[in-house]
Amino acid sequence: MAKREVPEINAGSMADIAFLLLIFFLVTTTMDKDQAFLRAIPKKVENPPPPQDTQERDICAIKANNNNQLLFRDELLANPDDISEKVIEYYRYNEEKNDLTSNYPLYTRISLKEIEEKMAIVEAEIERMESTPDQSEDILKYRYDELAEWQVKLDALKLYGKQSLPEVSSQAHVRVEVQKKTSYELFAKIHTEIQEAIYTLRNDASMKLWNTSYGVITKRVDLDPKNMEDKAKLDLLKLLYNVNIVEVTPK
Amino acid sequence: MSKFRKDDGGKKAPGVNTSSLPDIVFMLLFFFMVATTSKEVDPSVVVVSPKGAYTTDLTPFKQRSEVDFLYLGRPLNPARAEAFQGGYALSLDNVVVPNPDGLYTVNAVKQWKLDKFNSKPNTMKSNIDAVITCIKADEKAPTGMIFDIRKELQAIDAISVAYAVRDNGNI
Repeated sequence: MAKREVPEINAGSMADIAFLLLIFFLVTTTMDKDQAFLRAIPKKVENPPPPQDTQERDICAIKANNNNQLLFRDELLANPDDISEKVIEYYRYNEEKNDLTSNYPLYTRISLKEIEEKMAIVEAEIERMESTPDQSEDILKYRYDELAEWQVKLDALKLYGKQSLPEVSSQAHVRVEVQKKTSYELFAKIHTEIQEAIYTLRNDASMKLWNTSYGVITKRVDLDPKNMEDKAKLDLLKLLYNVNIVEVTPK
Repeated sequence: MSKFRKDDGGKKAPGVNTSSLPDIVFMLLFFFMVATTSKEVDPSVVVVSPKGAYTTDLTPFKQRSEVDFLYLGRPLNPARAEAFQGGYALSLDNVVVPNPDGLYTVNAVKQWKLDKFNSKPNTMKSNIDAVITCIKADEKAPTGMIFDIRKELQAIDAISVAYAVRDNGNI
């Protein structure tokens, strides 16, 4: 039987089909990324406990009023770009040495030996509780969390390689207080400045310790979550500059 | 006396070979498929985001559909703006309806978020407190509205929020 010749398929319209798809994707997709400040709203509490007394030195209040004027720790601030420098100063002032007369948050410096002692106490407590029956699960869990917290600090201090680990008072926080008609632009600006301060503080520490920028370390952890070495570095930086942000609902 | 003779003995110019055109177009197509992300709804309110820096990129959360967007801006039709308090409207999946008393639809946020959460299949659901609500607000919008939204979200434990800005790099 004679071989029949297969006619060639006309591919001239292939380009048209591809163009059609291309244009569809051009129209339905977007290049720009969604960039945002991540924040957490405090959990709802049925019966809120009476507010604790917070020392003035632990509050870093940034206030903005209806006319978009700024107050930083009750001082008028003309240029919102200065917020980041002021926040950095707020966290750096007592970092090396506590100055009790200053209006800045105090640091505690805990040494390796002290952490190990604390851990031994908690471990003994857990052992005692496990041997006694009818223990509340919650308390046991709390103790385990406590132990894990000390472990994180121990690892951080070992990585830090210094005599003691400086830790800012747990009460210290940046407080954003706006009024109802403050523009979103200024609100976003305040958050930018706070974020810049956090970045600068952590970046300076990371440059000093490992000569690597904070951005690079964060990126590496993002790309490879199993990268324990960089993760430990990140944990240390977060422990060193733990900036709490409180947003006050305007009345 | 012309160098270019018009009649060249009936010889035709050879056609350009276009057989590689589809390849080129496919290459472009794949580039755009990889480099872009699918668009959220085109919001029916005008939002001009303020500038910001040192932000978090929401793309990984978007890929896991762990983020819902709501828009706070002026209605596209300026005549409609009068119906809203302060001229700003909340767009929840392109539903922009003023309440009878002329308030923006902040009361609907709770139901909107719960509906979105419940419509997701159980296998790819994370806790509601981990699902981010991203507020895209206009730069002139009053912050009081954002705190009103926060209050609604707090009531249903959707406690992760994000304030969208335009990132202009490292200042």
